[in-house]
Amino acid sequence: MNSAAVRRYLPGTLAVLLALGGWEILSRSGVVNRALLPPPSVVLDTLFVVMKSRAFLTPLAHTMTLMFAGYAIACVLGVAFGIAMGRSEAIHNLFEPLAEMIRPIPKPALIPPLFLFFGIGVKTMLIIVVLAAFFPVLINTIQGVRWVDVTLVNTARTFRLSQTALTLKVILPAALPMIMTGMRVSLGLALTLTILAEMLAGESGIGYLILDMQRAFQIRQMYAWVVVLAVIGVALNALFEWVERRALPWRGQ
Amino acid sequence: MKKLLAISGLVLVAFLLLLWEASARLGWMESSNWPPFSAVLIAMWDGVKSGEFPLLVGETLSLMLIGYVAGCAAGVVMGLLLGLSSLLNRFFSPLIETFRPIPIAAIVPPLILFLGVDAALKIFVVAFSAFFPVLINTLGGVRDRSEVLRQTARTFRLSPLATLWKIVLPSALPAIFAGLRTSLGIALVVTIIAEMIAGSSGIGYFIVQAQYAMQPAPMYAGVVWLAIVGYLLNRLILKIERYSLPWHGAS
Repeated sequence: MNSAAVRRYLPGTLAVLLALGGWEILSRSGVVNRALLPPPSVVLDTLFVVMKSRAFLTPLAHTMTLMFAGYAIACVLGVAFGIAMGRSEAIHNLFEPLAEMIRPIPKPALIPPLFLFFGIGVKTMLIIVVLAAFFPVLINTIQGVRWVDVTLVNTARTFRLSQTALTLKVILPAALPMIMTGMRVSLGLALTLTILAEMLAGESGIGYLILDMQRAFQIRQMYAWVVVLAVIGVALNALFEWVERRALPWRGQ
Repeated sequence: MKKLLAISGLVLVAFLLLLWEASARLGWMESSNWPPFSAVLIAMWDGVKSGEFPLLVGETLSLMLIGYVAGCAAGVVMGLLLGLSSLLNRFFSPLIETFRPIPIAAIVPPLILFLGVDAALKIFVVAFSAFFPVLINTLGGVRDRSEVLRQTARTFRLSPLATLWKIVLPSALPAIFAGLRTSLGIALVVTIIAEMIAGSSGIGYFIVQAQYAMQPAPMYAGVVWLAIVGYLLNRLILKIERYSLPWHGAS
């Protein structure tokens, strides 16, 4: 490792080690209640036990499937409606008031009504995730489409591109940076709303487990699952950045 | 015809509300949890008359505001520090990047163990969520200041404090405001999430309780009031943005 890399990564590594070490000492010495905050070594141990057990993959798969399915549906719908509303004044006029009515509702507040109406279950939870992730993509797509350079569109017209070709080859790529910005906001919302819906439904998934373990006072397992979620959060972030670099190579650093 | 097209959206909304009313009155939904829209309006009015909704919304908004202000203040201070000192930035950024992506709902149950289910918990959770967007934006704003500004400050031999106050802060202000705005949008949602999981008070808790008690009309009334609050908050954010950054007004 060269000295530049050392200079760059050493302080951060040190900070993480210090934080973990401090937590370990505080917890072991009893300065903070060990029952409430077990030392990181114990949490890590528990994490390995949890990961090896058969009870690991089921909740993980439940949460991830729900999140990705909802997110994918929301992105497709958001981009489709966004392009339609961005391109056509009539469609925009038709749907804008409805969208502006539903958009400001804090989406968590819709969970109880939807549970009451559709019943508690995976389908309802999927609707919730879609609703939460839909609006940032929609709003950003509309903006992105409206900001597309008129010259680009006119050039495409000169070349007599069909509506479909115009949309796919000109509008969509030009609006992509804005669309991706919306999709990034939606990704975080999709994960949070998935966890929250699982907590309130109280049936399955990581959200349910974390809340259930807190109530049953299985504190170590609870922390282990929170760590799993933190890793998922970091991984999703990294994945999104990778996709973004691929999709928008011109955006640079 | 053109006028009709312009109001087509409002016609659609009115039609959907009518459909809601009719479906409940004529029993198309076969659900006891589907009150007519008029019953929701009555519940909204009753809740205001009895003082229940203003109290609930007041509880939610006051906790939100305290947490928001605390989180933003911490975010600006930390952002300035990390923006000015590369060493501090390298020291803290891995820790920040570990905590930032954790979904907020997941940290509420552990926090309940330490902070209980009342005000302290909600204030902390809102502050925690408001902190990161402000921090990231402040940091970006401070680091993006131009070399010319930096050298001008040096030429005039400004003290570090004067440099901070007269050069660094003003040039980072647009970015800081962008962070404040993002955080305000998140704050209400996070307050509701904390109230739903931890319970004890606020409009979020009320809505969950109404679901458990199978009282659809007050529940929908709570959701609609919350939507109105969310809408007004959104308008406020746009107003603040236009007022504070007039040069961004064109968009």
